[in-house]
Amino acid sequence: MTTLIVILWLVCSVFVIFEKKIVRMILWLFLSSIIASIIYLLLGSPDLAMAEATASAFVTIIFVIGFEKFFNLRDMKKYLKDEKEIEKENKFKRYILPAIISIGILVLFINFAIPVEQNDYLKNLILDRFTIDIGGENAVTAIYLGYRVYDTIFEALLLVIAVVAVVHMSNFDITKVNDGKHSELETSGMALFLVRIVAPITIIFGVYLIANGFLSAGGGFQGGLAIACFFVCRFFIYDIYDLPIKKINRLEDFIFIIIVAMAALTIFAGLIQQVPYRFMTLAQEIYLFVMNALIGIKVALGFIILFYRYVAIERN
Amino acid sequence: MSNVELVSIIVFFLAFYALVTNRNIIRTIIFSSLMEVSVITFWLSIGFRERLNPPILYTMADYEHIYTADPVTQALMLTAVVIGIAVTAIKTIMFITLYRKYKTTDWDLARIRKTEG
Repeated sequence: MTTLIVILWLVCSVFVIFEKKIVRMILWLFLSSIIASIIYLLLGSPDLAMAEATASAFVTIIFVIGFEKFFNLRDMKKYLKDEKEIEKENKFKRYILPAIISIGILVLFINFAIPVEQNDYLKNLILDRFTIDIGGENAVTAIYLGYRVYDTIFEALLLVIAVVAVVHMSNFDITKVNDGKHSELETSGMALFLVRIVAPITIIFGVYLIANGFLSAGGGFQGGLAIACFFVCRFFIYDIYDLPIKKINRLEDFIFIIIVAMAALTIFAGLIQQVPYRFMTLAQEIYLFVMNALIGIKVALGFIILFYRYVAIERN
Repeated sequence: MSNVELVSIIVFFLAFYALVTNRNIIRTIIFSSLMEVSVITFWLSIGFRERLNPPILYTMADYEHIYTADPVTQALMLTAVVIGIAVTAIKTIMFITLYRKYKTTDWDLARIRKTEG
């Protein structure tokens, strides 16, 4: 079963690499990521499977919206003519040397990778203790909200920086875009009908993932991405640009500060250990739920801003 | 070495070769996304056994945790996925600004136009 899906993934990735047209490359990449998410499910990580599936959907939207501003994606040839302008080039340096290097490293890696027996000490320790230390029933959530909450804070910071970069580079002065046709993509009635059906399911799924993140597979990142996908669907259904982006940006920064403060108070300062033993489980579950909700809202707001800024980029 | 590990390494180096030899900036961005997917698959496939259970209390059967997946790599890769989207968005917007300035999708041509002024 695993072997079959892995071979399918390899075939899709090879198609990404050898495809000529950009739009087909984007679609093959989407397919490859979806099959990778099935592999993650078989490897025993439903959290990552959901994250990868929603992430691949979002990346595809960003690629299509971003590149369609400048190119007619169906007819890429006239833009790719540039490549032929530079005639003299060293064939050996361009193609053969990278091939030798990559094949060489690959062979070295496969031959000399030492088959070490995996050290299970940390894994067993965390799986034995996470219900007592952090609470909840999902070990992955316990790690990223408890043992390694520092990583999560830096991840949220990186998302803030990404939003700042995208807003800065895409002419933030334009706060309002005329209603009506924002995208040159052909809107087919069938696709719009399907989006109308899928959109409410998406937001219910996102809220469900955030609420049950500490009990089962799911969590803030996946739920936030699903909610962001709902807003993308909403944009395509109504085709209006009505969200106050500046206010959302400020709200996102504010929520980031709350996340940092909450993690600092409960985990770093050890406030959660001061709770009486009787209320320990309740306090832990409240902490996990609130942190998941905050991270979910923050991720959703960040990706809504990214998407809306991409839509508002001026056409050439 | 399991099948998943082997194939993810092969995909990584295929994407690496394509990324180095291609001169189109859009294709470079897409190949780097593919490299990211293969790296995440490689990390997850370390310690692969058949019939692995997710690290959730309800599914963890035996005391020794042999058939439970490693939660540490999963938590690390979860942040890597979300960071990956943010970095992809930055890469795309940087390409768009570069295209506005130099009117090309080619690395070499962009460099030539930059030096010529």
